[in-house]
Amino acid sequence: MIVLNTPWRMYMDFQLTEEQQFLRQTVREFAEKELAPKAKDVDESAQIPDSTWQKMAAAGLMGLPFAEEYGGAGVDAISAALAVEEIARACGSTALSYAAHVGLGSSPIAMFGTEEQKQRFLRPAASGEYLAAFGLTEPHAGSDAGSTRTSARREGDEWVLNGSKMWITNAGVAGHIIATAVTDKSKGKRGISAIIIPQGTPGMEFGKPEHKMGLRGSQTYAITFDNVRVPAENLLGKEGEGFVQFLKVLDGGRISIGAMAIGLGVAAMEASIAYAREREAFGKPIGAYQSISNMVADMATELDAARLLVLRAAWLKDQGKPFTQEAAMAKLFASEASERACRNAIQIYGGYGYSSEFPVERYYRDTRLLTIGEGTSEILRMVISRGLLGELA
Amino acid sequence: MHAVVCVKQVPEQNSVKINSDTTIDASGITPIINLFDEYAIEEALQWAEKNDGKVTVISLGPDDATDSLKKALAMGANEAILINDDSLGQVGAQGAAKVVAAAIQKLGDVNIVFCGKQSTDDETGQFGPALARFLGWPQLTYVFKVHELTDSQIVVDRALEDTLETVEASLPVVITAVKDLNEPRYPSLLKIRKVSKQPIPTWTLSDLGLSADSLGGTINIAKRTPPPPRPSGEILSGDVQTQVKELVQKLIESQIL
Repeated sequence: MIVLNTPWRMYMDFQLTEEQQFLRQTVREFAEKELAPKAKDVDESAQIPDSTWQKMAAAGLMGLPFAEEYGGAGVDAISAALAVEEIARACGSTALSYAAHVGLGSSPIAMFGTEEQKQRFLRPAASGEYLAAFGLTEPHAGSDAGSTRTSARREGDEWVLNGSKMWITNAGVAGHIIATAVTDKSKGKRGISAIIIPQGTPGMEFGKPEHKMGLRGSQTYAITFDNVRVPAENLLGKEGEGFVQFLKVLDGGRISIGAMAIGLGVAAMEASIAYAREREAFGKPIGAYQSISNMVADMATELDAARLLVLRAAWLKDQGKPFTQEAAMAKLFASEASERACRNAIQIYGGYGYSSEFPVERYYRDTRLLTIGEGTSEILRMVISRGLLGELA
Repeated sequence: MHAVVCVKQVPEQNSVKINSDTTIDASGITPIINLFDEYAIEEALQWAEKNDGKVTVISLGPDDATDSLKKALAMGANEAILINDDSLGQVGAQGAAKVVAAAIQKLGDVNIVFCGKQSTDDETGQFGPALARFLGWPQLTYVFKVHELTDSQIVVDRALEDTLETVEASLPVVITAVKDLNEPRYPSLLKIRKVSKQPIPTWTLSDLGLSADSLGGTINIAKRTPPPPRPSGEILSGDVQTQVKELVQKLIESQIL
C-alpha cells in the first residue's frame, strides 16, 4: 500500500526563494503585457499567433524546466508551476498549449530520452523552435489508457505504426509527437512503448482542429497512423516501458494542470472583485451584500488551498520524493475549485457574465476542461483512494 | 565599448496613494525601473552586443533598489553597482549626478552613459545633463534613435518639440533616452537563476572619495497639493428626444462636435 506523504512529515516553509519570486513577477509582467490583451482574440479566432510563441521562446519560457545544455532554463518544479499559473491567469488557451508542450511533449524526452534524442528533439522544443505533443488518448482509450490499440511493429531498423489518436493538443502544429503504441500485445500494459514521430513523417495525418467549448485557441487534433515508419532509435526508453513512462509523465502534467486551474480561477476572482466593488444594486455596491461577498471569500480560500496543494506536489517533485498522490489531489482540488470560482464569477456578473463581452464566460469555458484532461476527477479519486484503501476488487 | 546605464527605482505610478494629510502612503507601493531607464538599458544592450562591449548598470538608492539592478542584469547587463549611503536619503538630482559621476570615473574605462530623459517620480529631467556636466562630457538629450555607435563616434536623432535633429558626437558622451527608442526586452528566465545568486557590490560615499557636505544643497518638499477633485457631471432630464437634443447642443458649445 502506498503511504501518503502526510503533512506532519513535511518540511513547512512557505517562503518562495528570491529566484522563484523574481521569475513569477517576470512571467506575470510578460503575460499581462503580451498574452492577456490577445486572449479574447485567441479564443474567437481559435488560434494562437506565431508571434506569441516567438516572444515566449525569446523570454526563455519554452524550455523552462529543462537543462541549459538542451536549450532550457533549468528552473525547479515550483517555478515551472508558478509560470503556468501566471500564463493561465492571462490566457487559458496559451497556457494549455504551453503546458502540453512542456509537460507532455517535451518532458518525456528529458526524463527517458537518450542523449541523441535530447539533442534531436528536446533541444528544438526547449528553445522554442517548435511545439511538442504527446499522443496517448485514443477514440476507445481515454482514462483506460492501458487499452491502447495503436500498434507498432518492428520491421528491420524501423518501427511501423498503425492506428489512431484523439484529443491530442498541439499535434497538427507540433515538431514532434510522442505516441504510445502496442509493441507486444501478449504483454498487456507491459507491451506498450512510446515512440517519437517527427512532423511530416509520411502516413501520419491530422483531422481538422476540434471545435471545443473552451481553450479554443489551443488546437486539438485527431491523428491517424497508416504505416508510419520511423527509425528504431526513435523508441523512447526501452520497449514495453511506455505505460510506466506515461504514468510518471502524467504525475508531472497534473501539477501543471492544477497550476493552470489556479490561474484561471484567480483571473475569475480578480474580475469578480472588481465588478463587485463597481456594480451597484439597491444603492450599494453588490460586494456589500453577503451573498456576493461570501462567494468572493470562498473563491479566495479555495484557490489558496489549491495553490498550497499544487506547490506541495511541485516541492515533493523537486525533492525527488514520490508525489503521485499529492499531484492527483492537487489537480483534483484545483480544477474543481477553479470551476466553482469561474461559475460564481458568472453569477456575480449576472447577465453580463453570460455575455462574451466580458471575460468571465471564457474563464468558465476554459477551466471546464481541467476536470477532464490529464486524468478526470473520477480517475483521480480512484488514484487517491487506491493509495489509501489498496485495490479491493 | 563600456556603457554605463543609470537606473532609478521608482514607484509604479498607479501604486502611489496620497494620505489625507497629503503625505505619501508608502505601503502598497510597487517599485519598478523608471520607464525611460528601461529604454536606456535596452539601447545599451543592443549596441554592446553589436560592438562586443560591456554594460554596467548603476543605481543610487536604498538596498531594495537591487531588485531593479537584478532585473537589468537578467535583461543582459554584465555588472551592477548599487550606490547607497545613509547621507543620500534626501539627495537632489544635482547631488545624485555628482555621486554617479564619481562612480563612473572610478570605473575608469567607460565611454558612453545611457540615462532615461527623466524619472517618473521627481520628473526634474536634470540628472542626465548634470551628470554630463560633472563628467565634462558632451550630452545628447531626448535621443529617439541611435543610427551609429562605435568606440569613437555616435550619430543620433534627437526628438525636439517641433523638429527632429540628427547629431554627431565623439565619445565619451552622455545620452538621455525618450520613450519608444526601442522595445525593451523581458528579463531572461535563464539569467534570473544566475542573477538571483549574484552579489551586487555596494559603494558608499567614502568609496567614491566624497563627503555629504560636497553634494550641495538638498531639496525638500515644502507642500503637496492634490489636484482639485473632478467636478461632478451633469445629468440631463426629460424624454430621450429632449436629452439628445440638449446633449448635442452642449457638445457643440464645448466644441467637441
